[in-house]
This record gives sequence, structure tokens and C-alpha cells, in this order.
Amino acid sequence: MILDNVCKRFGGVVAADEVSFTIASGQVRGLIGPNGSGKTTVLNIISGLCEADPGSIIFEGDNITKQPSHVRARLGIARTFQHPRLLKRCDIKANLFLGIDLANMKEKSSLFSKTDDHSLEGLLETAGLKISMDDSISSLSYGQQKLFEIVRAILTKPKVVLLDEPAAGLNTKEMERVRALIDIAVRNNAAVLLVEHSMDLVMNLCNSITVLNFGRIIAEGIPAEIQSNEAVIEAYLGKGRHA
Amino acid sequence: MSILLVGGLAIIVPFTASNYLLRVFNMTMITYICVVSLFVIFGMAGQISFAQAGFWGVGAYISAILTVDLHVSPLLALFASAFGTALLPAILGLALFRLHGHYFGFSTIGVVMILNGLFQNWKPVTGGADGIANIPPFGIASMTFTTEMSLFYLILFMVVAISVATYLIHHSSLGRAFMAIRENEIAAKCMGVNSYLTKIIAFTISGLYCGIAGSLYAFMSSYVSASSFTFPQSALYLVMLMLGGYHSLPGPIIGTALLMLLPEWFRFLQEYILLIYGLGVMVLMVVMPDGLIGGGKKAYEFIRDKRGWISANKKRPSNDLG
Amino acid sequence: MVLQLIITSLAMGIVYGLVAMGFVLIWRAVGVVNFAQGEFLMLGAFTAYTLTEVVGMPMGVALGVCAFIMGLVGVIFHFMTYWPLRKSWDMTVIISTIGASIALKEIVTLVWGPAPLAVDPLVPGIARFMTVAIEWQFLFTIGIAAVLMGLVFILLEKTYLGHILQATAQDQYAASLIGIPVVVATGLTFAISALITGVGGLLISPIFFVVTTMGGITGLKAFAAVIIGGFGSVEGAIIGGILIGFIDTFSGAYISSTYRDAIVFLCLILALIVRPQGIFGEKISEKV
Repeated sequence: MILDNVCKRFGGVVAADEVSFTIASGQVRGLIGPNGSGKTTVLNIISGLCEADPGSIIFEGDNITKQPSHVRARLGIARTFQHPRLLKRCDIKANLFLGIDLANMKEKSSLFSKTDDHSLEGLLETAGLKISMDDSISSLSYGQQKLFEIVRAILTKPKVVLLDEPAAGLNTKEMERVRALIDIAVRNNAAVLLVEHSMDLVMNLCNSITVLNFGRIIAEGIPAEIQSNEAVIEAYLGKGRHA
Repeated sequence: MSILLVGGLAIIVPFTASNYLLRVFNMTMITYICVVSLFVIFGMAGQISFAQAGFWGVGAYISAILTVDLHVSPLLALFASAFGTALLPAILGLALFRLHGHYFGFSTIGVVMILNGLFQNWKPVTGGADGIANIPPFGIASMTFTTEMSLFYLILFMVVAISVATYLIHHSSLGRAFMAIRENEIAAKCMGVNSYLTKIIAFTISGLYCGIAGSLYAFMSSYVSASSFTFPQSALYLVMLMLGGYHSLPGPIIGTALLMLLPEWFRFLQEYILLIYGLGVMVLMVVMPDGLIGGGKKAYEFIRDKRGWISANKKRPSNDLG
Repeated sequence: MVLQLIITSLAMGIVYGLVAMGFVLIWRAVGVVNFAQGEFLMLGAFTAYTLTEVVGMPMGVALGVCAFIMGLVGVIFHFMTYWPLRKSWDMTVIISTIGASIALKEIVTLVWGPAPLAVDPLVPGIARFMTVAIEWQFLFTIGIAAVLMGLVFILLEKTYLGHILQATAQDQYAASLIGIPVVVATGLTFAISALITGVGGLLISPIFFVVTTMGGITGLKAFAAVIIGGFGSVEGAIIGGILIGFIDTFSGAYISSTYRDAIVFLCLILALIVRPQGIFGEKISEKV
């Protein structure tokens, strides 16, 4: 997937300013930056909740800039949200069905029969979710809900996975599970865009990283480069003497 | 279990109830169909609509005009009512579902008021305030449904058909799409649900139901007038749905039965009946905000836990699936 | 003729404005649409009847007494519909207000009987300006309503009490944390809402027959005014009310007196399609 010169203003605030990058299949790109730098806006533009103005999104060679969200989802672009968007008054089964129905729409096959780790059971186990289908979704803890949302996104075998701060609010064990789920997606050749604050996760998982500040790209490259990049350090820590 | 109930009802009621009571039952069933239509658009898809009574009226008038003025067969009129009425929300939905949140609901208030205005005043078509009288009874082939009892079976048949259809929708991917929109429209959109189109589908289905209900009403009472198809009537459907429970089909059944049949029991209270009705609604909302079904479930769980029953491995009835 | 229509429009419009303001005050305070708002109008009218025709009070005194009674009604209403359900989903409160509207209509029928009642003009007589004759009461309606609106504005914007009400309306939890007794604030808001709507009822009682159904359609038109003016905006409610008054009166006179109601609601739908947030409203969008 290619983002080309994506810009977005909200009134007087420039949320995204000429943002361009590529997300390749089977690779993880990190999108980092201080709070308010426009990362979620970029995700919203990619998933179709927000319109790039101007700018374009190219997916597998097609320009999908004008496509509505549901079409993008059916094309294979999946995402999670900063605060999990689950069907609160429904049970686990109903919530999973949201993913299953989409998967069935894309390829007319049922997911329950396969036994590879990309099957439903496999994903739930990787996510460490030992839950009954009839339980209410609100019985899950915050961390479990975030993991659940990732499972829901991945079980549709998406080609692009957009993750919005999946590790926020999670403990170490849960973060391990997030990592495992991302690994599964990558092994299935998905292109992953990871918006994160946890540098641990970012530096270890990402093949390349884009850094935003005030909507502009201030740095791009492999983890090692980013870690020593002056502009990046300044954006996070401010000017002045560093140890 | 429900088959037994319906079967039992079908046998006991017509043979034991007076003609008056049968009429009450028939009216209750017709109202139930309208409440189910609200269940589809609001209970499942989460879009509140006050237009139902208006659609009910459209269905009634279509059947009345076709049979009285154009001498069309009642069966054909029923079909025309059903699909003709469904067309209205389909077209309206195209414009109105561009509105978000409660704005759609407000627009449906406008819809029912405009429809009522047309019913009241469009004399050449709807008879204006006089309405349309002398609607011939419903008939298929050589059978005519003139008695209250025959109407009972006709309406019961439609009720069962519509209930089954709704149950199937509820457990299909379409129904799940409705509920996803209700709970979290953005999540639904990002998971491939075309929320605009899906909402229109829900609205159209609900219009279809109301159209059938309207047609049945026209044939049952032989007379239609604008005074039945009002905003307060739509509000009443909403009350019945909320009172019974908006999560699943038993809700509309109980809500409608309660608010239509219970007042008959208290007929002797005469002029106080509506007052108690209103107060009753207020009290019930406080005591059972989830409706009677929800309240019933809570009571069931409360008793079960109190008795120390083993609930660990017991399959709890899920709300929306199963 | 046109001047007469304008005065009538203003009078009706400003009453719609009072009812609309009543809607908005409750909405802002507790986030609920009060389906019984029209019934406050009805109650105000019936109270006016009793006070002036039965008890024989002069209109000025009746105004004050009616306002006081309606304030009390608002408080009782608050405790019966909103307060017990304040922690539940808003739909439950809405249903409760629907129940309340049915109950109120029945109470009125039981107490006053089903026959329509007539109330004498607020102020008798007809004013003459050049060639135009206008009943004094229309002018008084406009005047009194305007004063009432002004008083409410001053209360909300300039007084300490008003600030408390506004704070509670914006965030109940935060308000309670800084020591504001939420129940007093919400109760008072309902009282003011019922008061101004009830006075609106008193003002129009001589113009129409006083019947139990008078609250219904007037309430709905006032609700349309709220939406057109901008849902949640007090200024919008007033401007919207006056606008609806004009649309109602002029379309009744020039287009069709039978379809005037339908035309008002057609305008509502058109307004929603063109500008859903109304004249003064803000676009509400969900944060993703």
C-alpha cells in the first residue's frame, strides 16, 4: 500500500501534512510520534473514516482514495482502534461474527474447520483468550478486549493491518501476545502499520519506521537509524542537553 | 415450545372468547406486527423511527383505495399494500439515512406528521377526515373472511409468518449487520458493513411489515380514517417495544400483549384506565428498565443464584444469538 | 392584513419559542427529549382557565400564580420521570415521559372534563394602528413572552444560580464533585422549563379552545423549532420558534390552511437534509 502526499486539515489544525510512505506485504512499518502528531488521523484516512485533502491512497495498484470504509474492509484492509470498538451489549460469539461474516464475504469458506494457527481457535489461543462463546463481551478485561479486537481484525485474513496503539494499557504478558498475533499476520503476508508508543515493541518488530511530528514526517528509516536521529529525540524530549 | 403456545392460542382463543374479545385479540396482533417492524429498525438496527404509524396508514389506505375504488381483489391489495408501503421507506431512507445519530429519528417525526397531514386532507384520494368506508372483507378464491374468528386465523397466520421471518433475519448475517450498526457503527463500517444500505434495508423491511398490518386493519374494520395513524400511535409502539424488551422477539410479544390486553381486564376502571396506563408505563420503566424480558432474566438469575444452583458450566442464554 | 399576519406569527412564534426553550433546557441538563413538554403547555392553559374563569383572578395575578404552579409541576415531574431513571439509558426516560404525557392528559380530562373550554382574552380590546386592527392580547403575548425569555437569560448567564445550572448541565459528575447538589440543579431546570412552557400555555389560552389535545401538535411544532434552530441551543430555540410561527401562520394563510401542519414538518425535513445542525447548532462528530 502506498500513501501519497496525504494531507488533512481540521479547521486551523494541520493534522497531516504531505505524508507519504509505503507499507509492503509481510513487513511491519512503525508509525510513531508524540501525542497529537497525527498518527490516528493517518489511520483514519487509510481506513476511510476521514478524507485526505489532497492526497491519495494506492492499494495493490488501485487508487482507493474515494472508496468508503466498508469497501476498503472488503478489499482486505483491517484495523483496530485506540479504544476497542466492540459490540458492548452482545456476547463474544456475536462480536466474532463481525469478523467471520466479513471473511465469508471475501472468500466463501467457513473458518471453523481449519486447524492451522490462523484458524479461530488458534488465534484465540495465541491471544490467550480462554473464553466461552456465550459470555458477554463486557466480561473481558481491557487488555483482553484489545487482544480480542486484534483477533477480530486478523481472522479475516486481511492484506493490510492497521494497529492503533495495541499495547497501550497492556501488561508485559499481554504485550507478548500482541507480538505473537502480529507475527501471525506477517507470516500470512499482511502489510502491517503499527502505531505505537511502546518503543520496545516498535524497535523489535518493525522493519522500518516513519516518525511524525505536527503532521509532518520528520524521519524515516530502520529502527537503528531512528533511535539515534536528532530530530526524533528532539520531538519526544525537546531541545537541550541530553545524557 | 413456542409452537405449542401458538397452537394452544389458536385453538383456545377463538372458541372461548366473545366476539368483542376476539376483535381485541385481532387488533393486538395487528399492533404486534407494527411493533415488530419497530423491532427491526430500532431494536435490531438501532435507528429510532416514529414513522411506523404513518406506514401503517399507507398500507391501510392502499388496500382501501384498491378494493373500494378500483375493485381490485383483496389478496392483490394485500400484496400491493405490503410492497407499496415498503417502497416508501426505501426511497425516504435514501435521503434520510444521510443524517446521523438522532437526526434520523427527528426526521421520522416529520414523516409521520406529513403522512398524517396527507391522510387528513387529501380528500380525493384518502377521503379526508371522512376516511374510506365500506371496505369489502378479505377473501381468497371462494373464501371470504367476514367473521371475527376467520379474521383471527388470517391475522394469526401473518403474525406467525412475520415472526418466523424476523427470527430468521435476527440469526442471519443481515441481522448481525443490523446489530453491529446499532452497537458500533464505525466498527461495523470498518468490518465491511455498508451501513447506509443496510439501514435502508432495515427500514424497508419494517415498512413491509407495517404495510401488511395496515392492509389487515383495513379489511378487519372495513373503515380507515386518519385519526388512527398519528404520532402518538408511533410513540405507543415504542413504549410497547421498550416495555417488553427490545433485544429479541419475545419482547414485542409481551409488550404488545401487556399494553393491549391488560387494559381490557381493567375495563371496569373505565375513565381511570388511561391514567393508570400512563402511570403504569412510568413505574414499569423505573422497575424494569430493560423491559419485562430483561427484568425477567434478572429475576431468574437472582433466584437461581440465591438458591445456590451450580451456574459455572451452565450455558447462560445469550441475548442476541441463540 | 400582512401586518396582522406578522403580529400573529410573532405571537405564535414566541410561544413556540417558549416551549422550544423548555425542550432545550431539559435536553441540555439531562440529555433527554421530554415528550410531555407539550402537556406542560396544556396544563398552563387549563390552569389559566381555572384561575381566571373559576377563581376570577385578574390576568396579571393569574400569570404569577400560574407560573408558580407550573414550576411546582416541573419539580414533581422531575422526580417522577427523570430522577429515578437518571442512571439508566436515556431511552427509558423518554418512554417514561411518553407515559407521563398520557397520564397528564388523562388527569386533565378527569379534573376538567372532556369538553373544550374558553378563556377570556388576556387583555380585552383591539388596538388600532392606522388602518390595521390588532387585538391587544397578541401584543401582550409577545411582550410578556419576551420579558420571560429575557429573565431566563439573565438567570442563566448572569446569576450564580444560573452558573450552577449550566455547570450541572455540562457535566453532572464534575458538578457534584465540586459540591453542587445535582438534584437541586436538575429539579430547578425542570421547574423553569415547565414554568415557561406553562406560561406559554396561559398566553395562548384565549386564542385557541383549551383542550387536552392542544399540547400535542404544538409541542411537536416547537420540537421542530428546536431542531431547525439548532438542537441544544437556547438562542436557536427562540429563533426557531419564531421562524416556525411565521411558517405556520403564513403557509396557513397563503398556501393552504389544511396542510399548514404538514408544511411545517416538510420544512423540518428539508432543514435536516440541508443543515442538520440547525441555525445555531454545532456539528457533532464522533471521535474515532
